[in-house]
Amino acid sequence: MLKVLTGVCSKVGATLSKRSVQTCSVLQHDNLFVHRDTPEDNPGINFEFSSENQKRVEAILAIYPEGHKRAAMIPLLDLAQRQHGWLPISAMHKVAEILNLPNMRVYEVATFYTMFMRKPTGKYHVQVCTTTPCMLRGSDKILDTIKKELCIGVGETSEDKQWTLSEVECLGACVNAPMVQINDDYYEDLTEKTTKEILDEIKAGKKPAPGPKNGRFAAEPIGEPTSLKEPPPGPGFGVRKDL
Amino acid sequence: MAKYFGVDKIFAFLRTIKETGGIRASLYKIYRFDNLRPGTLVGTDKFGNKYFENPHYFYGRNRWVEYAPKYGMDYDGSQVPAEWFGWLHYKTDYLPTNDPTRPKYEWMAEHTENMSGTPGQFMPYSTTTPKIQAWVPPKN
Amino acid sequence: MLRLTVSRALNGAKSSPTCLSVASRYQSDQKKPDKIEVFIDDKPVLVEPGTTVLQAAAMVGVEIPRFCYHERLAVAGNCRMCLVEVEKSPKPVAACAMPVMKGWRVKTDSEMTRKAREGIMEFLLVNHPLDCPICDQGGECDLQDQSMAFGSDRSRFTDIDFSGKRAVEDKDIGPLVKTIMTRCIHCTRCIRFASEVAGINDLGTTGRGNDMQVGTYIEKLFMSELSGNIIDLCPVGALTSKPYSFTARPWEIRKVDSIDVLDAVGSNIIVSTRTGEVMRIVPRVNEEINEEWLADKSRFAYDGLKRQRLVTPMLRDNNGDLNPVDWEAALITVAKVVKHAGNSIGAIAGGFADAEALIALKDLLNRLGSEHLCTERTFPLDGSGTDLRSSYLLNNKIAAVEEADLVLLVGTNPRFEAPLLNARLRKAWVHNETDVALIGPQVDLTYHYEHLGDDPNVLRKINEGDHEFADKLKRAKKPLIIIGAELLERKDGGALLSTVQNLSTKLNSNEDWKVLNVLHKVASQVAALDIGYNPGIDKIKSADLKVLYLLGADGDHINKEDLPKDCFVIYQGHHGDRGAAIADAVLPGAAYTEKQATYVNTEGRAQQTLVAVSPPGRAREDWKIIRALSEIVGAKLPYDNLNQIRDRLDEIAPHLTRYGNAESANYFKQAAELSKKTESAIDCKPIDVKIKELQDYYMTDSISRASPTMAKCVQAVLKQKQSACN
Repeated sequence: MLKVLTGVCSKVGATLSKRSVQTCSVLQHDNLFVHRDTPEDNPGINFEFSSENQKRVEAILAIYPEGHKRAAMIPLLDLAQRQHGWLPISAMHKVAEILNLPNMRVYEVATFYTMFMRKPTGKYHVQVCTTTPCMLRGSDKILDTIKKELCIGVGETSEDKQWTLSEVECLGACVNAPMVQINDDYYEDLTEKTTKEILDEIKAGKKPAPGPKNGRFAAEPIGEPTSLKEPPPGPGFGVRKDL
Repeated sequence: MAKYFGVDKIFAFLRTIKETGGIRASLYKIYRFDNLRPGTLVGTDKFGNKYFENPHYFYGRNRWVEYAPKYGMDYDGSQVPAEWFGWLHYKTDYLPTNDPTRPKYEWMAEHTENMSGTPGQFMPYSTTTPKIQAWVPPKN
Repeated sequence: MLRLTVSRALNGAKSSPTCLSVASRYQSDQKKPDKIEVFIDDKPVLVEPGTTVLQAAAMVGVEIPRFCYHERLAVAGNCRMCLVEVEKSPKPVAACAMPVMKGWRVKTDSEMTRKAREGIMEFLLVNHPLDCPICDQGGECDLQDQSMAFGSDRSRFTDIDFSGKRAVEDKDIGPLVKTIMTRCIHCTRCIRFASEVAGINDLGTTGRGNDMQVGTYIEKLFMSELSGNIIDLCPVGALTSKPYSFTARPWEIRKVDSIDVLDAVGSNIIVSTRTGEVMRIVPRVNEEINEEWLADKSRFAYDGLKRQRLVTPMLRDNNGDLNPVDWEAALITVAKVVKHAGNSIGAIAGGFADAEALIALKDLLNRLGSEHLCTERTFPLDGSGTDLRSSYLLNNKIAAVEEADLVLLVGTNPRFEAPLLNARLRKAWVHNETDVALIGPQVDLTYHYEHLGDDPNVLRKINEGDHEFADKLKRAKKPLIIIGAELLERKDGGALLSTVQNLSTKLNSNEDWKVLNVLHKVASQVAALDIGYNPGIDKIKSADLKVLYLLGADGDHINKEDLPKDCFVIYQGHHGDRGAAIADAVLPGAAYTEKQATYVNTEGRAQQTLVAVSPPGRAREDWKIIRALSEIVGAKLPYDNLNQIRDRLDEIAPHLTRYGNAESANYFKQAAELSKKTESAIDCKPIDVKIKELQDYYMTDSISRASPTMAKCVQAVLKQKQSACN
């Protein structure tokens, strides 16, 4: 991928450098770190915590001692995101209001953490890990399958607002690579087939069981264990006899 | 005979005074132009300047202009329009009235005299904004 | 959000002597910890525990390069430019954030230190555009200077062909500060200034890693009266001055030290000029007044000095139109009128009048037998009136405000009347646990305060002791009462002042601590009262004057209807404003950047402005005009040059020529005793202040009213107030 990009760039650079002053490719981010008013997301839209979440807000605030209430910012933002599906700017304002903080302090936190979705996000947020271990185990194929199944590209949301696909860095399940995270659940040891099944099940309104999809319980070897088969030795194992 | 005694000069002088319109007019002309010469009026331009010729005088003195009375003492060379300028300076012997080589175009501007030193003069103006903008008092 | 600066938290050493004395006062009651010895480049230095490496190095004269560290802001430690080697430490340490330990040997010029600096500089330059030729900071840029001094001579940056150079969207934060955020090196000085000093939490960092950017996240105006200071703080060209942009380079401007006169604080400024034009105004460090900050009006209203100026004398003709004339005609006409008027001549001094002009005018009128000399601003004359300086000064001095533990503000909005005093109050509130209470309309002071209502009778109750706040005041060790001069302009001002004076004498336990403080709004007031002008123009209105001399009086206090019909009005000043509009004769004077003149600030500190540019057109220095007029009138004033007129000032009040010194006042008790004779009582009219909101702050006087920049600010603030994100 990088090689291809490099090649393209150097070619473009070679053709341009004769005539233009400087060659520079445009640095692009997958996320925007400033706010733009849109019809779905602007400060004019009111955001309120639902009555049951209101109770949760109080419970969260009760955890933190007086004078350190601002530590509740991340839990509250998470609560707002769970209620709304993503994190609109008015939700940030609401959290700032609850914590009695300037809005900017909330923006800082919300933009820092990648798990706060500041753009409209589908009901199911599919995060495909493409970091090295998963890539070696075939995550590119998994990603292609998902793209084909959902008819969306990376970073896009389907038109029915059900699905959002993102490519993410390591989610810490390398032993079960390749894997995807759909909302809060990890689906691991995937193949193209099992990926398709999971998506079909969710589309059908069911909730597929999370975890490895190749019959493993967790990170143990498939079939028989290959090592550590004997019972664990007791205390004094490997210690000199005369001690 | 009279030639030898210079009597003809006296006659010529008297004739000139007569042509000019009397002693008073002659004195005025001398006052205005420091000169009094007999000559043939060959034309008048649209500003009222009169152009004279007298081949009796030598080359360089035989064509002259008498500026229109409206200029008074404030006459100067730039009041001669371009078409008469040529004749006056021996660029041509045709008079502007019957000069076949002189084209007339619509875009040709009216002759103006040199306006330097008068309120009509051209003043270059600054295109930069002034450093200090002065207060302009409101007018009643 | 607000961290104590390490130095303050640990009673650390400060570089400036004033701060040292302030710090030592705090320490006096604690046991002084032993000093520890450290070695900076093998030079031994004894420092207080808790001193950072950077401060210790500064003590022996070793300057460590830095970007994010700033003495007056919290330590952030994120630029890493100040990395130094400490012996036996495996890694270089950030000098700005690391307190020294006993026996440390710091090497500020070792191989490791230099390599660390070069590395950091290379990283900074990788993400910094090379647009110095079009950058306004060029020539006074910390990044330029430090890359020359400490950077490497080459870079390994090749990423320009791959992912490109970092580029960040510019933010629109108002008509004063221009942002080019690609140049930002994320030192976060502006963010820390905004939240700590200005109290406006609108700036922050969004995003993370390489995508981090400094900004407001939403499109928002930086609504602060101190916003210009982030331009000075920015070590690179990310934040530059919008009005100054692309106008001049630092190496082609001349700098003249001067004094600001747009409020009564008397901030020290540097006027930068080029080709006889004021290009910009930046603050000059004065620990006793403005530290190193400057309010926006003082900084940006300079373009008002180029607009609406009076450049030639003018006389009103028979049609009622003012026509330009030359000095001779103007002075002869004016002199004729003045001579004819005899002693029924009066004068009103406006807010920009300097002490030299005030004394010249007073001497002239006195010679003509008139005593009708007034200032625009009223001050109660009951009791001792203005005879005792203690009644009308900010007696406790501006810097000492930080030491107070309880401040009572009465009828004032210091945020907009004296933004730098308010910055001090906020500093005290943040760092020294100072409590603030306010009697007057509820306004936003950028810090929390106890609002005691806007009923003036609260003051009486506190004085009599039947208000809960009275106990608090009594308990306070260092209480401070700051009363706005605007409040004293009320009809019952005398009674209010008398109440505060009596309250203050009751609270005054320490001789060095002055409880009573009056905050003036205009720069000329204290000098005028010192010289002996009468406060208020009632006297002018009642006297049947034939000639009225307005010395820069633009405050809309007097108009034609107040005067007898045949009264001849002379206006002398620098701007065509309200005063010039009603004048029959206009004499063009010089503005504060154009004359060497004395101003006395609200704490009684005499300071002088210097000539930065020459007065425009035929305008002349004010005292010279009066001197010239006196000769034609036939009452020649006995001074021909600046030294002689200053000798005259010295004769009247010696403190007026002791520049830089704030002459303390005394006789507080006597003033309080005399004030008891005040007959008027406090009425129930609620206390009000004129400037409540930011949009009222920008255009208050003839200079700022003429300034297009200030007009833009007002528009921007009004627009921001209407938007949803506020």
